[in-house]
Amino acid sequence: MAQSVLSLPPPGAPILSVRGVSKSYGSVEAVRDVSLEIPRGSIYGFLGPNGAGKSTTIRITMGILLPDRGEVAFAGRPLDGAGRDRIGYLPEERGLYRKMKCAEQLAFFAELKGVPRREALARAAQWMDRMGLGDWKGRKIDELSKGMQQKVQFAATFLFEPDLVILDEPFSGLDPLNIELLREIILEQRARGRTIIFSTHMLAEAEKICDHVCLIDGGVKILDGTLDEVRNQFPQKSVRVAYEGGGEPPPDLPGVALRQFEEGSWRLLLEPGVDPQPLLDRLRAAGRISLFTANRPALGEIFLAAVHGGRATAGGDAR
Amino acid sequence: MRTWAVIRREYLERVRTKGFIVGTVLGPLLMAAFIVVPALVAGSRIGEQRTIGIVDASGVVLEPLRARLADSGREKGRDASRYTLMPVSLDGRTFDAGVAELKRMVQEESVHSGLVIAADFPTSRAVTFYVKSVAAMSVKDDLRPALNEVLRADRFKEKGIPEELREFLAAGTEWSTLNIGGEGQETRAGDESAFAVAIILIMMIYMMVLMYGAHTLQAVIEEKSSRVVEVLLSSMSPGSLMLGKVLGIGAAGLTQTAIWTAAFFVVSQQGVSIGSFKLDTSFLTPIIWISFLMYFLLGFFLYALLYAGVGAMCNTIQDSQQFNFPLMMGLVLPMLLLSLVVEAPGSPLSVGLSLFTLISPVLMFMRVCLQTPPAWQIGLSWLLLLLSIWLAARAAGKLFRLGVLMYGASPTWGTLVRALRQP
Repeated sequence: MAQSVLSLPPPGAPILSVRGVSKSYGSVEAVRDVSLEIPRGSIYGFLGPNGAGKSTTIRITMGILLPDRGEVAFAGRPLDGAGRDRIGYLPEERGLYRKMKCAEQLAFFAELKGVPRREALARAAQWMDRMGLGDWKGRKIDELSKGMQQKVQFAATFLFEPDLVILDEPFSGLDPLNIELLREIILEQRARGRTIIFSTHMLAEAEKICDHVCLIDGGVKILDGTLDEVRNQFPQKSVRVAYEGGGEPPPDLPGVALRQFEEGSWRLLLEPGVDPQPLLDRLRAAGRISLFTANRPALGEIFLAAVHGGRATAGGDAR
Repeated sequence: MRTWAVIRREYLERVRTKGFIVGTVLGPLLMAAFIVVPALVAGSRIGEQRTIGIVDASGVVLEPLRARLADSGREKGRDASRYTLMPVSLDGRTFDAGVAELKRMVQEESVHSGLVIAADFPTSRAVTFYVKSVAAMSVKDDLRPALNEVLRADRFKEKGIPEELREFLAAGTEWSTLNIGGEGQETRAGDESAFAVAIILIMMIYMMVLMYGAHTLQAVIEEKSSRVVEVLLSSMSPGSLMLGKVLGIGAAGLTQTAIWTAAFFVVSQQGVSIGSFKLDTSFLTPIIWISFLMYFLLGFFLYALLYAGVGAMCNTIQDSQQFNFPLMMGLVLPMLLLSLVVEAPGSPLSVGLSLFTLISPVLMFMRVCLQTPPAWQIGLSWLLLLLSIWLAARAAGKLFRLGVLMYGASPTWGTLVRALRQP
């Protein structure tokens, strides 16, 4: 395949820059002044709750939507057709021709990115095998399960050997085994020097593979940095506690920023600088404890805190 | 080239479907059936023997009429007349009783119809024809000229016209109809058959616009509802995507029509004739051919682009129905106005209507077939169509860019107009 005319930046330097992008639909502002720098060779988590503006930002990045303001640069140049040919895109919702055969469909999408047809067909066969769908090459998309369709779409994103891949909720509808397969491929592709933007609302998944993360909520960027940088911004501890017989922690605990019951235990996010040890005494007063841990907070908790903090400073704009 | 990949996909995905193959084969078969079946039916009716009861009070008609009918049967290539004359004898009964007997025979269908020749036939020329159904009237068309000749022969004899003069006096006029072309050249006009061929060609234009134009609408909506469009637009511009789709679908339609046209000409070259009607393609001049191709393609592109633009704004076929009405009017209108143009192809009204781009592919082509209009009118209609296609492409491109990622609420005329007004 013909090599790109674009010269890529060195690893670690931004391969994609989104600068001050805004987009409104009628009176609804979907994205407000969002700027991102995606370092080459990273797995960049683009995170946020449903409706945060992730997909709109991604569509603008792909040139599918035009921003009201702002610009997108790829490899140091304003994004154009040549740039888009180096970017793979997995949309949030599956976009496949239902009546078309799998391998032909993969080849068609690669052709649209400039891969010659013969080459595209050969690679389509390889990728179908890689996805464990070797027996389905000649079958129509309609005959595949949703998970299989998702894997075909996933293969289409990498087939033309892009420099940057944008995956919008790639794991939706997949079982743990297939999530593992896709995660493996993502890591393998990164090892080959590709940059991957991983957009999801499943923060636990993001935490496992991302080295950079960015959080947006209500169309505004709230957090941005390497995983460690983001964690260090939140030095507070997270406590997990459970009671025998299903008791509850006392309601008026000092130094607790956030409390939440999930998966059979209570999670308490402490305010910065609060020591969990004295808290344990208060908790024991409420009943017999069956579980107590104190850790650095998970990405999910950090984002929950940040989203609440962000919404509070934004004047309670709870969307 | 990306657009090429889209064209190929659209074309192959369409051409490979069972529907396409069945439609392509069935099209000519249906066409042949429309032509051949009536011919067979007509042929069998022509061959059928008819018995005509006759009361000949004059006594001078029966034998000459029988001879005359046998002659005209031979002229039409048959061994004998298809009419058998069954005289109702007047021996021993009055004229009125004879007529009553004939009526009874017609009533009971022992004869097909009944003919009563008055006693003073040579002077009064009075003939009464009894039929059971109106369908028997076609028999009259055969009997009447034969009886006219019998009458004429009788009068020639009465006035003593010499044998050698009779044929001279009985001669009819010999007609040939010629079309005067744009440069004054003459071509043989096939009259009804030319008209029929023109109608078949117009139907092809019509089918192309109607069927394949609507295909673009469906294709765009399907791509939109399956969200494929998002993947496509991450690789190419909305304009080239739309162009690829329209060209691919157009090519599929062209393939089908080419097969049909070929089949039509094979059939017509076999000299298929139905009674006096003959499929005659000799009147098809180069200008008609070129016009056919031009209106066929231009008409398709105009409507396909309009449909594509509407499709981009809609999420389901149901959504599109409200916008369908004006598009359908553009297709129904020429059919309603066709007779107007046929009556007076050169009238100012016809000229005006046939220049109106939404209906010109059908109406102007009809005019070209009927009476070649001035070249400037044909050229102008092509120019106007190209201009409309350009405008439609711009509008559709805009609707495509704005609409193709619009999901949710079904669009209204308001959204459509607002979208078109955007820069």
